[in-house]
Amino acid sequence: MIKKSPFRCFILSFVALLLALSEVQAQSRTVGGKVTDEADGSPVPGVTVTVKNTTQATQTNESGQFSISVGSENTVLVFSFLGYESREVRVGNQSAINVTLTSKDAALNEVVVVGYGTMKRREVTSAVSTVKAKDFNPGGARSPLDLIQGKVAGLIITRTQGNNPNSSAAVQMRGVSSINGTRTPLIVIDGIPGGNLDLLQQDDIESFDVLKDGSAAAIYGTRANAGVILITTKKGKEGESRFDYSTYAQREYVDRKPEYLTASDFRSLISQGLINSSQDFGSSTDLYDELINKTNTSQYHNLSATGGTAKSNYRAAVYFNDANGIAKQNGRKQFGGRINVNQRGFQDRLTFQANLAANFNKANLLGGQTGDFEQAVQRNPTAPLVNADGTFVETQAYNNYNPLSRLAHRISERDQQTISADAKLDYKIIEGLNINTFVSYVRDNYNDRYYRSTRDWDQRLNTSYRGMAYASKSNRLDYTRTLESTLNYTKTINEKHSVTGLLGYSYQYYTVENFNVNNNGFTTDGFLDWNLRAGGAIENTALPRPDMGSSKEDNTLVAFFGRVNYSFANKYFAQAILRREGSSRFGANHKWGNFPAFSVGWQLGEEEFIKNIAAISNLKLRVGYGVTGNQGIPNYQSIVTLGTGGVYPQGGVYYQTYGPGRNPNPDLRWEQKQEINVGLDFGLLDNRITGSLDVYNRNTKDLLSSYNAQQPPFVTSSIFTNVGSIRNRGIELQLSAQALRKGEFVWNIDFTGNTQHNKLTKLSNEIFKANFLEFYGLPSPGNLGNAIRLEEGGAVGNFYGKRFAGFTEDGKWLFYNAKGEQVRANQINNNDLTVIGNGVPKLHLALNNTFIYKNFDLSIFLRGKFGFDILNTKELYFGNKKWLPNNLLKSAITTHDQLNDDPQYSDYYVEKGDFVKLDNLTLGYNAPIKDKRYVRNLRVFVTGRNLFTFTGYSGIDPELEDTGFSTGVDGRGFYPRTKSMTIGLNLGF
Amino acid sequence: MKNKIKHKVKYLVLLILVGVSNACTDLDETLYNQLNKNNFYNNKVEVMQAALRPFTHMQAWMAPTGQNGYYYHGEMSADQLAWPQKGRHGYDGGDHFRLHYHTWTANEGRMRSAWSLIWTGVGFINSALMDLEGLDYGKLGINDTEKNAIIAELRVLRAFHYMKMMELWGNIPIATKVGEPLNPETQPRAEVFNFVKTELETFVPQLLPYSQALIGRVSATAGYAMLAELYINAQYFTGTPMWDQAIQACDKIISGQAGGLNGAPKLATNLTSTFSNTNKTADEALFQFAFSRKGGFTFGWGGFFMGYDNLKEALNVDYGGWNAFVVIPSAFDAYKENDLRKKEWFLFGPQYKYGTTTPVMGTEEWSGKPFVLVNSIRRESEGDLTSTGDMSKGEENSGARFHKYKSGIISDPNYQENHYILYRLTEIYFIKAEALMRKNNGVATQEAVDLINASKKRAFSASDWETEKYTPATLTLDELLAEKGREFIFEGKRRADIIRFGRFTKGTWWDHKPTNDPNKEIFAIPHTQLAANPNLKQNPGYEPVN
Repeated sequence: MIKKSPFRCFILSFVALLLALSEVQAQSRTVGGKVTDEADGSPVPGVTVTVKNTTQATQTNESGQFSISVGSENTVLVFSFLGYESREVRVGNQSAINVTLTSKDAALNEVVVVGYGTMKRREVTSAVSTVKAKDFNPGGARSPLDLIQGKVAGLIITRTQGNNPNSSAAVQMRGVSSINGTRTPLIVIDGIPGGNLDLLQQDDIESFDVLKDGSAAAIYGTRANAGVILITTKKGKEGESRFDYSTYAQREYVDRKPEYLTASDFRSLISQGLINSSQDFGSSTDLYDELINKTNTSQYHNLSATGGTAKSNYRAAVYFNDANGIAKQNGRKQFGGRINVNQRGFQDRLTFQANLAANFNKANLLGGQTGDFEQAVQRNPTAPLVNADGTFVETQAYNNYNPLSRLAHRISERDQQTISADAKLDYKIIEGLNINTFVSYVRDNYNDRYYRSTRDWDQRLNTSYRGMAYASKSNRLDYTRTLESTLNYTKTINEKHSVTGLLGYSYQYYTVENFNVNNNGFTTDGFLDWNLRAGGAIENTALPRPDMGSSKEDNTLVAFFGRVNYSFANKYFAQAILRREGSSRFGANHKWGNFPAFSVGWQLGEEEFIKNIAAISNLKLRVGYGVTGNQGIPNYQSIVTLGTGGVYPQGGVYYQTYGPGRNPNPDLRWEQKQEINVGLDFGLLDNRITGSLDVYNRNTKDLLSSYNAQQPPFVTSSIFTNVGSIRNRGIELQLSAQALRKGEFVWNIDFTGNTQHNKLTKLSNEIFKANFLEFYGLPSPGNLGNAIRLEEGGAVGNFYGKRFAGFTEDGKWLFYNAKGEQVRANQINNNDLTVIGNGVPKLHLALNNTFIYKNFDLSIFLRGKFGFDILNTKELYFGNKKWLPNNLLKSAITTHDQLNDDPQYSDYYVEKGDFVKLDNLTLGYNAPIKDKRYVRNLRVFVTGRNLFTFTGYSGIDPELEDTGFSTGVDGRGFYPRTKSMTIGLNLGF
Repeated sequence: MKNKIKHKVKYLVLLILVGVSNACTDLDETLYNQLNKNNFYNNKVEVMQAALRPFTHMQAWMAPTGQNGYYYHGEMSADQLAWPQKGRHGYDGGDHFRLHYHTWTANEGRMRSAWSLIWTGVGFINSALMDLEGLDYGKLGINDTEKNAIIAELRVLRAFHYMKMMELWGNIPIATKVGEPLNPETQPRAEVFNFVKTELETFVPQLLPYSQALIGRVSATAGYAMLAELYINAQYFTGTPMWDQAIQACDKIISGQAGGLNGAPKLATNLTSTFSNTNKTADEALFQFAFSRKGGFTFGWGGFFMGYDNLKEALNVDYGGWNAFVVIPSAFDAYKENDLRKKEWFLFGPQYKYGTTTPVMGTEEWSGKPFVLVNSIRRESEGDLTSTGDMSKGEENSGARFHKYKSGIISDPNYQENHYILYRLTEIYFIKAEALMRKNNGVATQEAVDLINASKKRAFSASDWETEKYTPATLTLDELLAEKGREFIFEGKRRADIIRFGRFTKGTWWDHKPTNDPNKEIFAIPHTQLAANPNLKQNPGYEPVN
């Protein structure tokens, strides 16, 4: 049976397009073209164009154009110009040869976005990494941050949910920096602090600029502790009107499947007497396969139009994206657009910019649940999934449910709309002095619907729902209003002293509103969730009570800030920042905080003693110190409020009761980070190797968290306060090398690497003390406790538990107690537990090799994490015969065959996690276009992702959550890891 | 020209400064779905809503609702109930083992919860008392009698919290205000006892008599029951007996002076009505948590006492549990076969789907086989039918199970309307009888015998009664303790009783060997609290700070 899938149609039309284009090509003896600057696309006049090994030469005219006659297809043209890298191009059968030349100083003149303005790379004195669109990870990105995974040393981006289209990546910069406060970097999109990533499509992004250290991030004061990621979208440009169309199709394939027993394995254990014969239910099923959407396809289309004059121009883009995961009922459809308009007028004094972006998406949240795949591993493989009458089989063993029944009888959907609008007005008061006002509004709204039909197992007759259906709806709305105003001043004195100054005010208001309602007692599935009143539970008190809820919160952030940059002779640079910021979230005594930063840079490469070293073409030393804050805590933590406490009768009537909801803390204040960063930017061997090295030491003190309160006299057991400090140290290296450039063959290498070590230096102060904090409660059965403990003086991510000491002859656990004696589990107490591993990688490496030959390019991207352990809870529970009568991993009767005891948490299940992944392999082809009247450029590519993992780890994927505190645990439930294959097209016309 | 520009700049700067001065630096927080105290306490209902907050909280640690409070620690360390490991379930970090074996340390997560839960209750009371001090009662329509009754009720309830904490930890701080002093000092047990005694003796007489309008509240019956409990334990706590005071407190209740739900409290005439789903107005009730499923406050004992889904089928209910607490075999054996309580209050033997003779099936060790609850905690599925077993050898069907409170089947109009009874008249009879005997050198008087027989009589058929009833010769103090154990099983009273009788550290029961360590009669102060408050002292015999 051949099904005409959309995927197939897509490929066919693609191939047809390629064939049509190849027809257009022809031969010619005189060639011409245009030479442009790679950095900004401007024409480069005066470039010498020589036919290699001859004296025949010409020069480009004012608009960068040239024309030269050539002998054969094998002729090579050499393009050379002072201050630029020379280039050789083989003529081939092209008639138009457009060449971009790279300035030898390009890296130093690169524009860097630093928050409330831009700088040239040469002037930057702090740790800021820039990733431009051309360096993004190729292929289809589920979320914008996927584009720079492994591209910025020290920025860790981990997809803990694999390629689930309804999950986002976990992000962390330079290690964990807070316990209960925000631990993810502040996202600023085109100047909107806290911008929404849903509004970004991969083809709309121009660049990411990552403010890594305190001296760079201090300009965003109270939200900068975890770093700042500035995202700049593509904007309108003067020139001929252009269209750009990008598309891809993508499919996911299961990477590795857990090795659980098949039905025949299970039966052979029955025949060996290991499993009771009553457990053979007569079928042979594989639930895992049933949950997989084998024909999953994702497609993406983005069309943009750009044009206008120097004084007024625009860019508008629309997109559609249908993303489907590897699991059934696990998709997300979205569409939207982004419009940018720029205009300059009033004698060029007034500049106006406006952006409008929207995203409308519908997500099916029903499938792809990690618990469903836990069932797939542990469900009895001899049990049928579906009865003859079409109803689903519910096995009655512990922790069992039939996910297929849920997929069939439930609805769980989200319908979300996100919009963002901003406008910026800039007025030049006098030469060098500008005033700028920026307003923005971001609104995110979603409606969730949820339904369990009358045929759902949880609604069956023998439950409190009495065979009737359940429906709920909920709604969430949040919006942020921002007003920022700045004064900018630039002045150069005597051509040597250059000063720029910035003064600003910022106001941001955020609010969130929630509403939810549910009902049950629906005798028919005819309404689904669209007629809530029809549910009988409103009248029938024997049914579970219908419920509803609503809430609203808000907060305000106000700041005054300034920045001064000074440079002398373009060699010595200094920057000072001060932000004074107040947040409504903090205690009455500490609403406001000051965030200063200072940094200096020295262009050593300009000094004679370095200039004399031939190998060094550029060298800059940077030293910075900055103080930043964190206000990312829940609202209202500093004040005492009355919260509901459940109902109690007054004269027979059940009224709500009210009591204090928390311990107030009028002294609640900022979490504060002090960071020193020393960096070196360098260019070696004629800038063929460039890079930067950064070393940092950051101390975050006054950590915001819930600490044990003294009881008495406090009411509740914890108080939200500032106690403790955490230290992160690390080294980051970013390298780019032009390994080989020979003829039309280019080989580039990009490398990022970082080490990161952290320590919880303090967890107490004079008033509040906590001995430790614990994370990751291990699931039932056995209630094995928390797996991870954070202790004062200890590292983040320590596994804390028993030490395995062997098995008894009859396969019972033996553990070491504190005295080092081998004892049984029931003789172990809490004082015998110790650190048995650590789940936070100490070293991250990424290596990208790009090979370009003629019109083909190939990039091979490897990414690895080292120096960490994994707690394999799948083995802990499923690799143990005691998990019967549920299904087992094969290891239960191989690796762990000797074990004949109930599950216990110990270092027996802690494994080394080190891995290297072949993360991205992309082959692209840029079709040569002779006649550019219709098609300007055309590129096709295929990308394979997560193609191979080199690791000693026994589980399905060693890349697990490695940000935050619950690190390195391979959970029982999971989302399947996939290899994904993408085929894509970029077309400019 | 230059001047002009300067002026322009000045104005602009001024404009910015003015623009941002007032409204734009306001950082006050606005509350929406939470209440500010300043907007509360506007009428009598609101005052009572604050005063009743401690009650909804207290059930978490006093009633068997699944939390790690007084109930859990009391029953798990005593001689009637245990939470054995049942195969892969119930190891729980060895927590229940250590309670059974009395090998707990100062570093026990569940004990940290218990401390926190009970002190939060004290905090709710202190907070309500502080707020109530500043109110203008006249404006709220509350007269002086009502006001005094509210304050007396809260202070008696607080004294009850302290009495229970004194029982668990002995030496504790005494705090009557929220937030001060920051680090209250540990007070010796004698001081705590005096505080409880003074508070109760002062405020119990101000309580209103129990009546149907006050169901679930601390009334005079509750207050005198607390006093009776304090007095009967006075000798243990302070070395000075207070038998006469105990008897007087009991008489206040028995005589009806303290009120009652249906006139003076009366003993129930059967074994079920006190625990049924219509026990809201039980004749015996002196103090109860006013649970109600319909009201939105269900008494959920499932966690500790229900099994997995198969037991739901047996009882035709919709709540399951953790298959946690089981009856220790020696405690089940303490009932004679003709004791009607042995059938009425336990689930035991083969279980059938409700109303049928279709067996309920096991799901773990007995997967696919009929589920039969047995009076042993050993690996019977592996052929062990003889050993005494131990805490690590339970199975899904080990031990008799709780069936004292009954929710009714799912379609019962009063399904899960059960109240949880904290004090009932039978206990007052037992306290009075014990005081009479202790006054009489441990020998029963006829009055004491009559008091005990009055409740025991419910447990035997008329034909058995003549041979089963106590006489002054057969009712020894040990027998009184044994009978109290049978009558009050599952009611959270056992640990205090066996401590008072000197059995807690010296007794042997099933898998428990005596520690003979008197320090174990009180628990360790949780080490997290010792770390948080330098003025707390660890109890003797426990490591000071971890």
